[in-house]
Formats: sequence, C-alpha cells, structure tokens
Amino acid sequence: MKEIFVLAEHRQQRLRDTTWDGIAAGRVLAKELGAELTCLLLGSGVDAMALEIAKHCPKVMVVDDPRLANFNSEPYIKTLAAILQGRSSYMLLMGNSNSIMDVAPGLSVALDAALTTDCVGFEFQEGKPLAVRQMYSYKVNALVSFKGAERVVVTLRSGAFPFDPAENAGTVETVACPLTDEPLKKRFVGFVEGEKGDVDISAADVIVSIGRGIGDEEDLDAFEELADAMGGVLACSRPIVDKNLLPKYRQVGTSGVEVKPKVYLALGISGAFQHLGGIKGNPLLVAVNKDPRAPIFRVANYGIVAKLEDVVPALTEKIKELKK
Amino acid sequence: MDIIVCMKWTPDTSEADLAVDKKGMDIEKGDLDYDMNEWDRFAIEEAVRIKEKLGGKVTVVSVAPEEVEEVLRESLARGADEAFQLWDDACDGSDGYATAKVLAKFAQGRKFDLILTGTLADDDCAGQVGGMLAAMLGIPGATLVQKLDIADGTMTVLRELEAGLSEKLEIDLPAVVSVATGLNEPRFVSVRAVRKVASAEIPCVDLAALGLAGTDVGDAGARVRIEKVFLPPEGEGAEMIPGKPEEAAARLAAILKEKGGIS
Amino acid sequence: MAMIEPAQIPLAGIPAPLIAGVVLATSLGLFAYIMYKRIGLLRVGLPDPRVDRIGERIKMMLLYGFGQLRQPRYLGAGIMHILLFAGFVLLSLRSLTLIGRGFAADFHLPLMGGSAGFAYEVIKDYVVLVVLVVCVVAIVRRAVFKPERYSHPGVEGHEGEAYIILGMVSALMLTDMIYDGAGLIGRGEPLQPGLFPAASLGAALLSGIGASTAQALHVLGYWAHILVFFSLLNFLPISKHFHVITAIPNVFFAKLDRGAIKPVRHDVKEWMDLPEGQIGAGTFQGFTWKHLLDFVSCADCGRCSDNCPANAVGRALSPKMISIKARDYAYEHYPVFGSPVQVNDKKFAGDIVTEQEIWACTTCGACERECPIFIEYIDKIVDMRRYLLDQGEIPQSLQKPLQQIKKKGNAYGGAKNKRAAWTKDLDGIEVRELEPGDSCEYLFFVDSCGSFDPRIQQISRSFARIMHKAGADFGILGKDESDSGNEVRRIGEEGLFEQIAEKNIEVLQERTFKEIVAFDPHAFNAIRNDYPVTFPVLHASQLMARFLAAGKIKLGGDYLQGRTVTYHDPCYLGRHNSLYDEPRGVLNRIPGMRLKEMTRSRSRSFCCSGGGLLLWYENEEEKERMGVRRIRMAEEVGAQVVVTACPFCLINLEDAIKVTGNEGKIEVIDLVELVDRSLI
Repeated sequence: MKEIFVLAEHRQQRLRDTTWDGIAAGRVLAKELGAELTCLLLGSGVDAMALEIAKHCPKVMVVDDPRLANFNSEPYIKTLAAILQGRSSYMLLMGNSNSIMDVAPGLSVALDAALTTDCVGFEFQEGKPLAVRQMYSYKVNALVSFKGAERVVVTLRSGAFPFDPAENAGTVETVACPLTDEPLKKRFVGFVEGEKGDVDISAADVIVSIGRGIGDEEDLDAFEELADAMGGVLACSRPIVDKNLLPKYRQVGTSGVEVKPKVYLALGISGAFQHLGGIKGNPLLVAVNKDPRAPIFRVANYGIVAKLEDVVPALTEKIKELKK
Repeated sequence: MDIIVCMKWTPDTSEADLAVDKKGMDIEKGDLDYDMNEWDRFAIEEAVRIKEKLGGKVTVVSVAPEEVEEVLRESLARGADEAFQLWDDACDGSDGYATAKVLAKFAQGRKFDLILTGTLADDDCAGQVGGMLAAMLGIPGATLVQKLDIADGTMTVLRELEAGLSEKLEIDLPAVVSVATGLNEPRFVSVRAVRKVASAEIPCVDLAALGLAGTDVGDAGARVRIEKVFLPPEGEGAEMIPGKPEEAAARLAAILKEKGGIS
Repeated sequence: MAMIEPAQIPLAGIPAPLIAGVVLATSLGLFAYIMYKRIGLLRVGLPDPRVDRIGERIKMMLLYGFGQLRQPRYLGAGIMHILLFAGFVLLSLRSLTLIGRGFAADFHLPLMGGSAGFAYEVIKDYVVLVVLVVCVVAIVRRAVFKPERYSHPGVEGHEGEAYIILGMVSALMLTDMIYDGAGLIGRGEPLQPGLFPAASLGAALLSGIGASTAQALHVLGYWAHILVFFSLLNFLPISKHFHVITAIPNVFFAKLDRGAIKPVRHDVKEWMDLPEGQIGAGTFQGFTWKHLLDFVSCADCGRCSDNCPANAVGRALSPKMISIKARDYAYEHYPVFGSPVQVNDKKFAGDIVTEQEIWACTTCGACERECPIFIEYIDKIVDMRRYLLDQGEIPQSLQKPLQQIKKKGNAYGGAKNKRAAWTKDLDGIEVRELEPGDSCEYLFFVDSCGSFDPRIQQISRSFARIMHKAGADFGILGKDESDSGNEVRRIGEEGLFEQIAEKNIEVLQERTFKEIVAFDPHAFNAIRNDYPVTFPVLHASQLMARFLAAGKIKLGGDYLQGRTVTYHDPCYLGRHNSLYDEPRGVLNRIPGMRLKEMTRSRSRSFCCSGGGLLLWYENEEEKERMGVRRIRMAEEVGAQVVVTACPFCLINLEDAIKVTGNEGKIEVIDLVELVDRSLI
C-alpha cells in the first residue's frame, strides 16, 4: 500500500481524540509499509484544526465546505470517494466512533474497498497488513486479512493506539470541494443534548465505581473527587442504589447500565457476575478491595488490597499531581 | 409503509465460556444457543410499531441456514407479516460485504419504503451491513438510531453520539435505518403467540432466485477473511500492586496515567 | 292513659295500613329491581363453577360468614363488627315486627307473643343500645383517629359513604328509642331501665313532654324508623355496604383450594384458540362472575392493603383499591337505572388497574388470608397478567428469564446437561440421576434455583447429605428436569407453564417413586397444587420431621452457640400450604434452640419480595426492599439467626443483611442447611 490516509474527526469545532488514534496507527502502518501518511480533514472553517494536526502529521489535506461541518455520512462519503478516486493502493483509517459508524461501511462500498471495523491492532505478514479485532461479545480476538485488496478502510478501537504527541511539522493542502449542487437526501438538523444533570455512564470512558465495600460511608465526596480528578464519572453496584446513595442510572450491571469504558476503577466491589456483566469492551480494570479473596481480583488487570479510606485520598492527590 | 427488516441469527456468547475450535478459525459453537441478534429484536419491534401506526407490511429476512426458521417464526409472532430465509450453502463464510450483497439483491426485487436492521451483531461486532446495504441500494442510511419519526414521507431520526449527545437528521425515504438497542421496548412473545403462527410458511430464497452466483457470496464473494481466532491472553488474575496504601496509590496513579485513565 | 298506635292514625286522611302497604310494596319493589340489576351485573362475568363440595361450602359459610371467624384478626374492629352483625341479625326481627305494626297495632311475629316475645323485647332493647354505642364509636374512630387502612388513595368520593351508613343505622336505633320512649311516656308507664334500657333512655331524654307531644313523637318515631329502614335497605346494594347482603354468599362461593391458580377459562379447554384480546382479564367482562361478586362485596375495610408487603414498601399496589376501582367501574357502566353504558376506550387491565399495580404483586397471599369475606386477589392479578402478557406487555426485566425457561428449562440460562452439576462436590455421596424406568423412594425435585444458583446449590448439597445420612433411597431427574413453573404461571405465561409442566409430568411418570420431595416451596406448591396430575409431594421440612421422628437422623453439635433464632415463614409453605408447624418442629430439635417469633409470623408472615422469576423483576417505585423490611422485623426481636425454608427467601434476606449493615450480626440460613450442619 502506497498511501495511508487518516480521517480527522471533529465535533462542534473541536478535534476528537479518534484523530490522534488514527495518526498513531497511521504512523505505525506508514513506517511498516513504507507508505506516505496523509490526514484528511473535512469540515467548515477548519483552518485552526488543520494547523493543529499538521504539527503531528506530515501532510494534511483539507476540504472546506459548509455541508461538511458535521459528520453527515452522505456528503462525507461523496467527498471522500471523489478524493480517493483514481488512487489504487491505500488504507484509510478512521476512529470507530458513533459518527464514523455512519460513514465507513457505505464509504467502503463507494470505494470498492475492503472494510474492517473496530480494530485493536495490526500484524504484518509478507509485507501485508492484517487487522486484529474482537468478536463474540468482545471475548475473542480475530486476525483478519484483506485478501490482497489494495484499497482498505479500517476503523480503530479508541484507545488501542497510544499517540505520541511529539511534534514533527507537516504541510497543509486545501483541495476544492468535489460536491455538486445535488440536494442531500440526508440532512443534519442539529445536536440534541441529553437531559441536563443526567449522567450517561454508558458513554463514559473513565468510570470510578463504588460497591458495598465502602461500608457505612454515606458521604461520597471523596469518590466524586477522585472521579473528577480522573476525568471520569462515578458509578456503582446495586447495594449503593439500594441504600439510595446514588440513582439507578448510575448502577453498572446486568440489572443496571451496561458500560464500555476504557478504564474501570472498582472500589469496594466484590465482583459478582451481575455487576461484571455490565462492564463491556474489556476496559483496563483496576480493583481496590480490602478482601484479598474478592473475586474481582480474578478479572482485574491491577489490584490493591487495602482499605478504601487509605487509598482513595492518596490516589486522588497523586492523580492531581500527575495532571499538572 | 412497506418495511424490510434484516435480522441476524447469532450464537449467544455473552454468558458462555468460549473456546477456539481445532482449526483455530472460529470458536466452538456446538454448545452455544443461537437466537435472534439482540439489536435486531428492536428493529423488528420498531417496524411492527410503524406498521401498526401507518399501515403496510413488514417483511423479515435473514441470511442464515435453515435453523434460523425458529427465530423467523418468532418474528412473525412479533407482528411481522412475512419472513424469508435467504440461503445457499455457498453463503457459508460470507463477510458483511457478501451478506449485504444478498440483502441488496432481495430488496431490489421488491417494493419497500424502509429497511430496518440492528446496528451491530453480537457475534461479529462489526456494525457494517446496514451502511453497506444503503450504499449498494443507492439510498441514504443511518446507524445507531435511537428515535425514529415518519411524517409526510420524511423521516426524522435521532442518532446516538457519545456522552449523552445525539444528532437529529432528516432523511428522505426509502432509506436503511440501523437501530440502537433501547429505542423501544420489544414486546414479549408468548408460547401462544408462536403457536398462532406455527403453520405459516417461511420460504427459502436461494441464490438463483436472487440472481446471484455462488462466487458472489461466501469466502469467494467476501472482501475480508478471518485467518485465525484466538482468546486474548488471560492473566491468572490481577497484578497486585504491593506496598503501603500511599505507595500503592502512587503506583496506581502512574499506571492509570500510562493507560489513559486520566483525561 | 291510652296511647293510639301508628296503625290506628290516618295520615292526611289516608289510613295508616294503606300507607304502610304502599311503602312496603314500593320499597320491596325497588329493592327487588336493584337486586335484579345487580345480579344481572354478575351475569356479564365468565363462568366459574362454585357449587361443588356443598358440605365444605356450608361449613365455610357458618364459620366465616355467620361465625365471622376472621374478624378478630383485628381485635378491636373485629369485636365491633361482630357486635354490629349480631345486632343486625337480632334487630331484623324487630324491624319485621315494626313493619307489621303499620298494619295492625298489636302485630307480632309468630311465636313471639307471650314470654318469648317479652324476652326478645328485653334483649332487643339492650342490642339497640349496643348498636348505637358501636356506631358512635365507629364514627369517632373514623373521624378522629382516621386509620390508614380506610383511606382511598387516588380515588375520590368514598369517604362519605361510611358516615351515611353509620348515620342511618344510628337513626334506626334513635327512632326506635323515640317510638318506644314516647310510648312509655304516653302510656304513663314507669321506666324500667333494667329491662328496657333503650326505651327507658328514650323516655328519660323526652321527659317533661306532654301527652299529645308524646303521642305525636310515638307516631313520628315509628314512621321515621320505617322510612330509614327502607332507605337503608335500598341504599345497601348501591353502596359499599352491599356486603351486608353479599358477604355471606361470597363466603359460600369462596375459593376452596389455596395455592392453585385458576385455569385461563373454566369453560374453554383449548384456551389457546381463543380470539385476540380474550386471554385473561383485559376487560371487566374478562373476570368470572365470582370475581365480580368479590368486587361488589368489598367492604373497604382495608385489611388486605394493610397486610400487603408491596403496599408496605411503597409499590403501586393496594389490593383493596382494585376492588374499589372495579366496583366504581361496575356501577358506572352497569347503572341501576338505564341500560349498560358502552365501554369506553379504557382498558381495564392497564388503565383502571395500572400495569404497575399488576406487576407489583408477589402473589404472597397476605391479602387473601386477611380478607374477612374471602375476596380473591391472586387469581385476578394473574388473569390480568395473562391478558397483558398475551398483548406482549410485560416488564423488560422479566422477558429474558422467561425466554431462557422456554429455551433451556431454567431462568438462569444454564445448559440442560449441567443441571446435575451441583452433585459433583459431595464428598463421595453419589446422587442418582434417574433414567426412564428407574425407581426410588424419594424423588428429589431440585428445581432451577437448586440446580444453577451457586448459593442455592449449597442447599441442594445439604439436602442430599441429609437424605444420604438417613439412608433414604433417592434420586433426581437431572437433565430431564425443567423449571417447576410456579412463577411462570403466576407471571401469566400459561402456555409456557403448560409446556414445562407437561414435560415434568412426562418425565416423572416415566420413573417410579414413592414421593416427590422439594426444599423449594415454590416447586412444592406447583407440583402439589398446579399440576393437572396428582403426585404425592413433600416439602423438605416434612421429610426431615419424618426422619427425626423415626430416628433416622440425629441432631447435635452447637451450631447456634446460644444465638437467638427467629423463623421466617415462606409464603408458599405457610399461607399457601399451611405448613407452619412442621418446620418449627424440626427447628425445635436443633440443640440449643431459642426460638423467638416475629410479630409477623405464621399466616401473617411478611413476604421477602418473592421467588422464581420475581428475583429478576425490578420495581422502580418501592422505597425499600421487602427483604430489608423483614430483616428490620427480625432485628426487633433481637434475632441473630433468621431461619427460613425457601431458597428465594434466603437470597432476598441475605441481600437485605448486607444492605442493612447486619453482616456478621445476623445470619440467614435455610432450615435444610441448619439441619445439615447439626447432623451427628
């Protein structure tokens, strides 16, 4: 493959982290395959974003048009198809985000390209890339080949490709918008915010979850502070809801909310399957519990056996320090 | 409003202990229970609700071997009017692309206003067939739809984005809508409801009838191939962080930072 | 001095007997018409055979109808009611006499002349006073103390009724006293408070009036009494006090078999072929005539709701409101005057009785156990659930477990061939998995929870050890066993219940055994009361009692270590199957047993929130879980060990122990486990 493209993702005039995931993966692929790395930025009034990306990517190709302001799959697919038309050997990388889920499959058909979604890694065999992705309730890994295809679209699991922010300046090139005046069949109307004050733990990337192990503690400030420091949300297991300490929509579990975070910090949670059943997508799972035999330690990646009151304030403090 | 619902027949792997089969190409499926893909249950419910409101017909199709009959019958009990199995042994080994081709061919041969499906399937977790199908049919598509309203030939949908945010879109019909779980509350199907449709015919449509060749589907028609499957390395358990609570906390903070747990 | 009797005084020139005749004929005619309409109302209900087992029914009627045996469960109110009821019965003779005196001044009932009549007059006079006092006390109680169980949350216009009735009854007593009292004064007879206290009191209150006033009051009191009497008679069938007329028939027609659920239809065997919307009670007409009689017979006493655990923890359910709302619906749509009002677009199950109410019920039976006149609730709730379920409307949390039962025969999603997996860790004890054709003495029906729930598997193993120790020849169905279906049926999925019950019956019939034994009261109840084929079935507590009596097992050790023990009666063992003493008998054989009963025990036991499928049911309205409430009751008596005899009680109560911070303070244990740990 001669070229690696990364589609930058933005929302409400801000770049999303999936862009950096894509550049991180793109760097690996470009190096391994000896290909050129280009970031595609489609949007409206995105000069600042282009410059930001150009700090980390050798080439940024910009298409600026009001119809591309939001990730409406119809103009996006048309634009990308027009840009990539005529190129015969490339891989297009995008984050596996909710916006891009709308774009990637249709785009792969328009490009006559092979598609693999939600990849967590790559392997290389005889100079050809293969994607690693997860299947069967995300429990099994699969190695997927593109059957020799030269045009490939891949979406990436967020967080699977750590980004090195080291700067290496690149260029910005603006190309004309290939969209015609043909009216769109799919029209963006607007964003709709979730109910105010209503935390959606299912969408959180970082979750601090508390369980029965918090004991008779009814003051949750310390846990909220930790969650804030980590940039995450506070969730819980059922006993906390039963005690009316947190509302039901913060309960993780089969009877509560299913969550798919990157990081799950389980504080005083024993690890009953009903609770674990609500944690999807194999996050980094860290458990703190005073019982060394708590089953949560069997599934967690890291564990600390200690009383919560000894760990939580110290952890909050350390994290605040590290963020400075 | 004539609606086609694409439903997948999937093994229930959420609670099961999975093992890789001898060839290493798939998991052992012998002991697994197959069922209607959870996401598609919501698509069928939505289709039936639209029909109940606006009239029309709901057709459910599945690209799956004959064992799918039970869940296709269940879809009739859920209120669908007809159900078809789209299958040929050559379809075995199809990827999302090959499957979308079969569905597109079926749809092209019929009158329809809307195609509904679930956004993801629990087995592949790929979320691609809906979008591909729309592109193949040359009509608009939308995934992760959490709300859907149809009035005067225009459809308004709410798509789920991250962190509680949604986007509202207007889409011309016909279109392919891939729904999110939770957009409705699927009805319960009682033993009686299934019995009422026990004698309904569920025809199998083969490749010839669809106008496809054996090479269009299966591994031959697929664009990607699973070369091997493997269980992710499973630790014996958590790596325990030793030391006094403050030391352990400091170490943990560093790990969290390294793994992106601080944002 | 002579007194002219009412019958001898024409009113407005019309002879009194003529007026009496007209009043009597009009009132009885009206009453007959109202009753005709009310009985017609019952005819819109579905068939329900309730005229079998006449002997039992007559006994029920005598004990609970006339004997009012359930009244004293609420001692104060119960005694008052018994006094009122007795007063009504005794004074009915007086009323007949008075009616007769409108025709002839010296009328008396047959055999009531002479000394018998005199004796009756004396008794009646006391009764009048007693009834009056009871009415006054009842009015004060309602107006001042306002017991919670008399409230009508969410429904207007019922508070006044009780006062109208109590007022009319008081008026009857007062007019009688005026009639008699004025008579005494008019005749110049001496007062005899010892013999005729009511009449004397009336006379004393009227003392000082002249002869003509006495004469007028005598007549006025008489006619007022007659008018109030007939007004009351006609008011009864259009008010909640219809129970005065219907309670005794309602008890006569009561459901005789506890524990069982009614069939979908008594008159249609192939119920699955019924048309859309006719499964279960979706409309008012979907109830049986007896259930409609229940509705109109409810006296609003609120004892059901006062004992309903769902009501206690804040769920939407209050059983009496189902009756009251249904009665309002009935009276509105089937009026006494005019033809039936067309049913509007409201669904009875869903709109009149809300889905929240319908799903809040645990079928614990506390309401039915309490109702003085045997109104049924469980069958009605199940019938309404059957309707909703047939419409596809059941709580999402219940769908998955039901589907699992359909597919795998258990709600846990466990594989069929793993059903006997719990037998592996039994230290050498071999549990036989019976194949078709095999035989044993005791067939241990493990049910899904005992097979798949890790906590309950421990009870299964304990029970296997006990039977092994007793040298019993026992076996299990293993992979061939399906869920007993107790909750499947009570959730309203009759089709699935029939399917799994048939399967279990088939595999049971393929094997020979003396008795089935189950430690789960739900399984025990389903096999005993729901299955269409009769099997001899025991609860584990019965078998353990038998082993102990025969000396086949002996208990020792000191597991309890001086701790105070309380016993929680599981609904499906106690209330539904009357097994209160067997578990306690076993309990008392445990060395060092110090049993302290909770206030709510035996038939007043407080449901832990239900078993089987209900374990999956998430109720959003409740403020506190029932199990938590129950553990508080155990705390009240200082219990350190709570013994139960139902695996679901165990799960709910163990959960509650954690929630209430009683870990390490209170232990919850199943009777089977306790016996196992005390085996020597």
